[in-house]
Amino acid sequence: MSNNQAIKVENLNKAFGSGDAFVDVIHDANFTINKGELVALIAPSGAGKTTLLMMLGCVDKPNSGTIYLGDEKVFQDKWLTKETRKIRREKIGFIFQAHYLIPFLNIIDNLTLLPQANGVKDRESKQKARELLEYFDIAEKENAMPSQLSGGQNQRVAIARALMNNPEIILADEPTAALDMDRSTNVVKMLKKIAIEQDVAIVMVTHDDRMLEYCDKIMKIENKTVVFI
Amino acid sequence: MIHLAKEDIRHTLGKFLVTAMGVGMLLGIVLIMMGVYRGMISDAEVLLDDLNVDLWVVQGNTLGPFAESSRVHEDLKYTVKSITAIDKSEAITFQNLQLPLADRKLAVFAIGYDIYGEINPINLDRLVEGRVLENDHYEIVVSDKTSYKLDDKIKLGRNFYKVVGITHGTVASGGDPLVYISLKDAQELQFTYTNKRIQIDRARGIINKDSHLVNAIIATIKPAYNIDEVAQDMEKWLHKSVYTRAEQKVVLTRNVVEKASKQIGLFTVILVAVATIIIALIIYTMTLEKMKEISIMKLIGLPNSTIIKMIVEETLTLGLLAFIFGNIFSHLIYDKFPKNVLLEIRDAWLLFGIVIVASIFASFIGVKKVINADPTAAIGG
Repeated sequence: MSNNQAIKVENLNKAFGSGDAFVDVIHDANFTINKGELVALIAPSGAGKTTLLMMLGCVDKPNSGTIYLGDEKVFQDKWLTKETRKIRREKIGFIFQAHYLIPFLNIIDNLTLLPQANGVKDRESKQKARELLEYFDIAEKENAMPSQLSGGQNQRVAIARALMNNPEIILADEPTAALDMDRSTNVVKMLKKIAIEQDVAIVMVTHDDRMLEYCDKIMKIENKTVVFI
Repeated sequence: MIHLAKEDIRHTLGKFLVTAMGVGMLLGIVLIMMGVYRGMISDAEVLLDDLNVDLWVVQGNTLGPFAESSRVHEDLKYTVKSITAIDKSEAITFQNLQLPLADRKLAVFAIGYDIYGEINPINLDRLVEGRVLENDHYEIVVSDKTSYKLDDKIKLGRNFYKVVGITHGTVASGGDPLVYISLKDAQELQFTYTNKRIQIDRARGIINKDSHLVNAIIATIKPAYNIDEVAQDMEKWLHKSVYTRAEQKVVLTRNVVEKASKQIGLFTVILVAVATIIIALIIYTMTLEKMKEISIMKLIGLPNSTIIKMIVEETLTLGLLAFIFGNIFSHLIYDKFPKNVLLEIRDAWLLFGIVIVASIFASFIGVKKVINADPTAAIGG
């Protein structure tokens, strides 16, 4: 097992329903994603991108197969831990189509909420949050509410939030869908930079072909299985 | 740790306060209802406490003038007085009257007593102006709730009565203000018919000259005598019903105000149930408004306990604020009610306990929503 491995999937299967309503979504998927890689996940709508993302994020339960996150085997035909939410809290960062910040918390509280739930001390989590806000060039907004920031600024805060728990993996579900071309390019370049500098694997669902040139690998769901192109 | 409930409430403070005020008004009405009940009990006891007598001798097989019609002869007081155990005894009448005001009639409860007697029903501590009755006829002492002033003239029956005294806090069990007149006037008002009626009665062969009736004989006993034993002995040979003060209190509170208090109790229970349902619905709506955020919190890994704590704390805060607003509201309006409303600390604490328990129950519906929230709902596509 490689030390550089962030995600490893073996013989992963996911289907919904039964009988006439049976839908095979992911069939016998095998792939590995390394730390420091920005991987694009593409497929037509309804092909199973979000389902795959949710399985990697320990939210949706696969029918069978094996999932490793880092060195830890988290799934083998069943979850190997009762607390999948703890895995998410400690290993995974999420970025969504919209920023989905908690509207009643200011920016710094949005960032420190998760680490504090993980038991990190207030001062420590705030220091980390300020470093990230500095990194994303929005340090002066730490006391602002999400409603007071632009869409681009909020998306940068959302990315910062995904990094707060020092994740091994970031799962990004169309993070540029709500942004214009320039901002989309900036966000993807930023993700690329984060992947390298923070040594984190990023899986990014995208429909925008123009973003693919910034990615290290392109993963596609084709004929219900996962292929690299 | 970030206090999610506090931050959420601060974010929508105006809306939250208005909601709490709305629920608070409902709780204020609950407190008023409790106060009306307390007021009724208190009112029922005013007269008993002011008379401060040990025994009530009333018409046989009746509960006495507070519960049903009771007539005994006035001279029974001498018979009662002759009993060794009796210290003082007096005849007394009770009747409902309508006092004429400028634009309407005012219902009052009149007490007739012997102004030369040993027992004066007017509690001097309640006499705020003027004096007690000093003449046999045509004087009246009224409660300040009647709005009459000293020296006003009030027409009752065929005669005018002069207001010679004003009392405060004197009400009957029904909430009507008390007025005091002499026994002779009371007997005339209660038992004397109009000239026409007397004429008709005579034509029918009915001759009723006896106006020396009263509604009860009240008595105090000498020290060292047992009230219950004296009452039992008197009942045996007087052929009257005899009640101790404690029994008369039961008659007043159980037989007279029981139905009213049950009704108020039922209203109070319904109002508390409605308040609980409203709090539950508000919390449910508030939770629904936050479902996206809750899904995100669950998705990024926040434990359920953190989110549930937020919901429960918000519910409790709503209940607590509503309770405070309810108290303020009830204290602002209680004296506007025509009947005596007695707001008591023990009732407020009882309601506080009910509100806390109700809030916890009300939060269950929001908590259930949180537990069932789907984290994948945060992700589109």
